[in-house]
Formats: sequence, C-alpha cells, structure tokens
Amino acid sequence: MPASDQILLSNPLRDPRTIVRRYLAIAAGLLLISWMVKDVVIDEVDWKRLGGTAELLKTLSYFVPDWTFFPQIVRPLLETLLMAFWGTLLAVCLAMPVAFMAARNITPHRWVTYPIGRALIVLSRSTHEVIFALIYVAALGLGPLPGILALASRSLGFVAKTTAEAIENVNRGPIEAMEAAGASPLAVFLYAVMPQVMPAFAGNVIFSLEINLRRASILGLVGAGGIGYVFAEAMQSLQYDRVGTIVIGLIGLVVAGEFISNRVRARIL
Amino acid sequence: MTTLTLARYEQIARARGWSRFWTFVSLVLVLCFGVWSVYALNIPTERIAGMFGRIGNMVWHRLMPPDLVFAMQPKILASVLETVQMSVLGAFFGTCLAVPLAWFAAWNVTPNRSFLYPLARGIIVTARSVPTLMWAMLLVTFFGFGPFAGVLALINGTIGFAGKLMSEQVEAIDMKRVEAIRATGANEVDVFFYAVLPQVRANWMGTIIYNWDTQFRSSTILGFMGAGGLGLFLRQQIAVLEYPSAMGIVAIIVGLVLVSEALSHQLRKRLY
Repeated sequence: MPASDQILLSNPLRDPRTIVRRYLAIAAGLLLISWMVKDVVIDEVDWKRLGGTAELLKTLSYFVPDWTFFPQIVRPLLETLLMAFWGTLLAVCLAMPVAFMAARNITPHRWVTYPIGRALIVLSRSTHEVIFALIYVAALGLGPLPGILALASRSLGFVAKTTAEAIENVNRGPIEAMEAAGASPLAVFLYAVMPQVMPAFAGNVIFSLEINLRRASILGLVGAGGIGYVFAEAMQSLQYDRVGTIVIGLIGLVVAGEFISNRVRARIL
Repeated sequence: MTTLTLARYEQIARARGWSRFWTFVSLVLVLCFGVWSVYALNIPTERIAGMFGRIGNMVWHRLMPPDLVFAMQPKILASVLETVQMSVLGAFFGTCLAVPLAWFAAWNVTPNRSFLYPLARGIIVTARSVPTLMWAMLLVTFFGFGPFAGVLALINGTIGFAGKLMSEQVEAIDMKRVEAIRATGANEVDVFFYAVLPQVRANWMGTIIYNWDTQFRSSTILGFMGAGGLGLFLRQQIAVLEYPSAMGIVAIIVGLVLVSEALSHQLRKRLY
C-alpha cells in the first residue's frame, strides 16, 4: 500500500469506514467508466479504417477555409441572426401568459391553470429544438418560418420558468395594496408584479437570445433555414473547404453576439 | 429636506419628455427592423394565418398516437443504453478537460496571462460557438459513424458549457485566500489546490451534474447525424415518413430527459 493511502486511511479526524467506503465508490465509478470506454469506444470504432495521425491530419487539411465562399454565407448568417431574434420575441410573447399561469402566488386557479403552465414549461424544456423543427418543417415546408417557431417553442420554457420563479419571489406589499384597491388580476400582474420582475426578466431574455443564436445555426440541418442549411449542403457535397469557412463565420457571429449580450446585460443588471 | 421648486420640476419634466421621445424613436426603429426582417427572411405572410391550423392538423392526424410498441423494440432499447453511455463518457472526459481549462481561463488566478489564458479562452469559445450537433457532423468525417464521434462531440459540448461556467465561478472567488496561500511561498499548482478548489468545489459539483444533464439532452439527438445513440432511429423513421413511430421515439426521449432532469435535481439538492 502506498504511503499516501496509509496516511489517508489513518486520518484521525475521519471514521476509517467512511474513508474505505469513499475509495470503494471511486473505484466502482472508474470501473463503470472503463467498461463504458470498452463498450462504446474500443469495440465500436473501426480502428483500421480510422488510420493513423497522418490520415487524420490529411482529413483536417480538407477543412482549410475557402475565403472566396465567404460572401455567399453572409446572407445565411444574417438570416440565422434574424431567426434567433424573431424566435426569442415570439417566445417572450408566448411565455408571458405561461409564466402568469405557472407562478404559484398569482396563478388564477391552483388546480387548473397552474398544472397547465407547468406542463407547458416541462414539455418545451425537455424537447430538443431539432424535434420541434422536424414537426414544423413537415407541417409548413422548408424555410425560416418553421425555424422561428421551433426556437420559440424551445425557449418558451426557459423564459417562462425563470419569469415564474422571479414572480414567486416578488414582494407581496404592492400586490396586496392593489388587491385592496379592487384591481383585477390582470391589473395586479401588469402594475404590481411586472415592475418588480423586469430586471431579471430582461437579463433572461437577452441570455435566451444568445442561446437561440446558437440553436438557430443548427436548425438548417433539418431544412429550417439559416446557416445550418448551407452547412448541410456543403457537408453532403463534400466541399469541406466551404465547411471550414462556414464554421469560422459562425464562430465570429456567435462571439460577436455574446460580446454584445454581455455588454447589454452588464448595463441592465 | 429640499423643496421641489418650479424650476427643478420643469427640469425633471423636460428630461422625462426627452427620455420618452427616445423610447418612442427606438420603438419605431425596432418596428421598422422587424418589418424589414420579415421581408428579408422571405416569410410567406399569407400562410401565417392558417399556420396553427396546419400544425394542429399535422399533430393530431399524422403524429398521434405515438407508436410505443415500435419504440420498445430491443434494438432501440439497446440504443438507449448507448445514449446513456455516450453522455456519461462525454461528460466525464469533458469535465476532466474542462477543469484545467477553467483554471487557465479565469483571469484572476490563471498561471500565465500572456499564453495560457488566451489559449484556454480560445478553446472554450470555439467549443461553445459551434453547436454539438455540428461538432458531431464534423467529427463523423474524421472518425467514422458510431458513438465515438458522438462522445467527442459531447466532450466539446462540455468544454464549451461547463468550462465557461466553471471559469466564471473561479473569477468570482475571494482573492484574499489566494494571496494568503501565495504569501507562504506556494507555487501556482498549490494555489489552485489549496486556495481556488476549496472555494469553488460545491459550485463546480453542481455545474458538473447540471452539465451531464445538458449533455444527455444533446446525446439523444446526436444519432441524427450518425454519431451513435437513439437519434439514428428517429432519422430513419422520419426519412420513411413513419411519423407515429418517430413520435414513439420522441416520447422515449422526452421521458428519458425528464428522468435525467429529476435525477440531476435530486443530486444537486443533496449536494447543497
């Protein structure tokens, strides 16, 4: 037994059984991981076809960007940005009533509207945007419209959930004051709740705009417009130099978007 | 207490008038931008009215009910296991890489500001900007179809997601303890283990568990691009327009995601 283990096993501050149990848990975890590595990586990969490092480097050299292709991706990149913008806007409009229903303290009815709001949030958060896009593309045809709807359906859950949580944490005072004055539930929501949740809400909306920009870039893989469509085309026609250009253009767009969103959020919060 | 003189009142009113004016101008600009973008995106405006009817029709008549008998075939259940394995491996090895990257990419304790910091930042930003599904497609061209490419894509996803969150958590630590450890003559590695790690350990554990949950969500769809797991069957069923059986697979995915979310929620609750 190595000296370090002896020291740890004889740590007077800890029960030796706890220490042994901890080591056993770590060993079991590592055993599980190595079984998975064998099952998924070692057995499944066709190592012969993969070739050596030289071959991988050769594949990498196909991806050297072709800058003459760049002018052709400016428009799809812009389209991706607009899809993210519209998707987020639509999600915010739809998330408002859902958050209103799913916040425990102001929901109109505890046994009817609250479960509905929660179910919508869970459904939206647990379904991948590609699945939404597949359904909408099948119903509406190719183009950015199903992509926008997919983004809206996907980020509705996040916006509604965070807003509902912010609503649950508001100060009761203004709400009670307005209720005492005989205000309707809608008026209470608009004038007592909204002003309190506005800062957190704005931060979350900008955050989801940033996420949606990244999501929008893959929706084209299933035909829902944006840069992903050009990417899928270039991949299928094996024009890897174009793929390289697209990837670099996308990185530029996302980095710019993240930079702006950080600036704006820092000013709001 | 100052009294509100008439001059001061007029000043406030004027300032308010200007701020209202600018709000109005920016609203008009946003509206113009919106109208222009609908035009630029080529959205068929005449179809928007009937849009929800068509989606509803699609969902009720062609997608429902989900064919769960199809989705319970042994080969699909085996791919569920593969999906879980991929997500665990991707999250595990990704975290192993994300820990040093998060350390290097935190401006306050990075061992080297002129080389390691920009390098680690660059890796995290690159991994983050390209979505996991695109990584999967790219990696499939290198490593062939199968779960290995998927695991590598999830490692990228983890570096981008957990690496960023973890380095932000390091940047928020209390620097006094770092200075105290440094004052004893400790080197950078000691500083990391005795001043940084104890402060971020709880947050990092939470992030690691949450990251596994996130990677599991993406792993369910990776097979769509041939990178192993459940998504492959989804793609096959959609390619042959068998929507009810595709929805059966979607139902399995949603169920699995709910289970993983509950699991990660419970684990994180026990942690704190």
